[in-house]
Amino acid sequence: MDESALERYFEDSIANDSGFMLGEGLGLQSPALIPQDPSQLAQDPAYPSEKSGVSGEAGDELDLSFLPDELSTQEEPRHDVSALDVSQDSGVGVDHNSQESTTTEGTQEASTSGAGTRASPFYPMTPMTPMTPVTPVTERSGIIPQLQNIVSTVNLGCPLDLKFIALQARNAEYNPKRFAAVIMRIREPRTTALIFSSGKMVCTGAKSEEQSRLAARKYARVVQKLGFPARFLEFKIQNMVASCDVCFPIRLEGLVLTHQQFSSYEPELFPGLIYRMVKPRIVLLIFVSGKVVLTGAKERAEIYEAFENIYPILKGFRKQ
Amino acid sequence: VGVVMSSPMAGSAPSSSKDRPASRINFIPELQSMMFALGDARRPLQETAALVEDIVHTQLITMLHQACEGAALRGSRVISPEDILFLMRRDKRKLARLLKYLQFRDYKSKILKTLEDEDTQAESGIHRRRQRLAQDFLVWMDQTGELLSLAERQEIDPIKQERMERLERQTRNMDPAQYAEFCESRQLSFAKKASKFRDWLDCSSLELKPNSMAMEILSYLAYETVAQIVDLSLLVKQEMTAKTNPVSHVISASYIHYNTHAESCPATVEPPSGAIQPCHIREAIRRYNYRHTSAYSRSGMTFLTC
Repeated sequence: MDESALERYFEDSIANDSGFMLGEGLGLQSPALIPQDPSQLAQDPAYPSEKSGVSGEAGDELDLSFLPDELSTQEEPRHDVSALDVSQDSGVGVDHNSQESTTTEGTQEASTSGAGTRASPFYPMTPMTPMTPVTPVTERSGIIPQLQNIVSTVNLGCPLDLKFIALQARNAEYNPKRFAAVIMRIREPRTTALIFSSGKMVCTGAKSEEQSRLAARKYARVVQKLGFPARFLEFKIQNMVASCDVCFPIRLEGLVLTHQQFSSYEPELFPGLIYRMVKPRIVLLIFVSGKVVLTGAKERAEIYEAFENIYPILKGFRKQ
Repeated sequence: VGVVMSSPMAGSAPSSSKDRPASRINFIPELQSMMFALGDARRPLQETAALVEDIVHTQLITMLHQACEGAALRGSRVISPEDILFLMRRDKRKLARLLKYLQFRDYKSKILKTLEDEDTQAESGIHRRRQRLAQDFLVWMDQTGELLSLAERQEIDPIKQERMERLERQTRNMDPAQYAEFCESRQLSFAKKASKFRDWLDCSSLELKPNSMAMEILSYLAYETVAQIVDLSLLVKQEMTAKTNPVSHVISASYIHYNTHAESCPATVEPPSGAIQPCHIREAIRRYNYRHTSAYSRSGMTFLTC
């Protein structure tokens, strides 16, 4: 696969098209993939629908990369009001399929029946602007892994009094005997932050890079309002987790034998095969049912690339 | 079917099927499932499973007694992984396999943590705890550097390789429904039934009890023992039922893996259908004992797992 073309493709899409972000929500809805694990991967169905007039704003607000890294008071009003609307739109498109079909250039999106069902309709990638020769659409899987969790870090740039923060802030827990950080949560975007006394912060639970950054900013804003000279330095996505479903059973014994150097499969311990892909450096959890979880990415393109790499291999071990 | 076997097996056995009450905890249905997952027929015989259960139980208890002695000698109040690793020190291959298992357990819990919301870098020490523990002990015990290198071993484990190949062959021809059943069987282990395992093991006769990580290792060893019994019995079964098969000498050549010398020569012939019988198991054990008993073996008992 032409790596640079893929990267360009994704860069273009993210920068130009809000529809792409919304389209992400149409990835395969597969909540609770791993039976034993807590359903951290489950989609939150409780998003109120904001049907009208939001897509215009969506384009502006999502593009937070243009905003200065230093927090300023100017952002505030926009930040609170429209950001809320936007974040309801992005990532989880269960109710918003009608919007996507109008915003993007002629994409054949799956019908709303795609939401909530396990079956994966075969639809082409969005939005497909032809570029330098890449793998034709028919050879691609047609499946887009859906982001489930983003972990990011940011440096607020000043030491923090955790006890003070825990006492003053809502939705904050602090149990120094158990863990040396304040745990704070917000509902929009639904995330959790770990705030350390050094001023460093970890933000988890977002479903997209923009949401993660937005959430991190909100937490930073909370800290700022409490009186600390908080800044927003070195924001970095540390890990991205995505999942999807190839919709056919996979014979893992075959895969582990032929790809020994990358795979481990010990069903007595864990029902999934752990595949450590070298390029890109991603870990995939592959289950008999056809569900695939990808983790370890720092960029979205790595997830897509990893999945496109593994898909033909999985097809080869399809259990007939 | 009583445990009538020549040998060390019956001799030091504190538990024989005659002594144990019928209402005792047993793992027979689970074992039948495990044996299927390890290469036996789709419905392993109950009597075979009962025999395997006896063997595994006896081996574990005897091993525990020895581990207990070792623990007492070093002044410990519990049996810990070190005591078990010490007993296994002679068989490098099995030790390497155990270390890989511990590594995998650590790795799996690390990966799963990144999927959950509250992953924190601060807890990364936990992610290698089993491996670190094993490694600390090996450092203490290692004279030549050989044991430490086990953890880094890149060589293919021929027995594991053979098992993988066998399962691959076995699953190739299953339909999706059979395969789904097979996968469920593969997921069964003693580790998943930890409290039943503990009760079944019945450490009441021991002065010192095993701690939780030692129990983890024991449940792994129990599974390994079952796997080995199945490996050996399948070979015996092939030989017994394929006497006129001109390729049979090739099949018995793969038995050489257990002698550690010859080149690997995987069996390419499909195993004959039909479940493993108790007689196959007894013959397999007999051959294994014959090969592995040495004048230096303390109890005169040969462990399938070390």
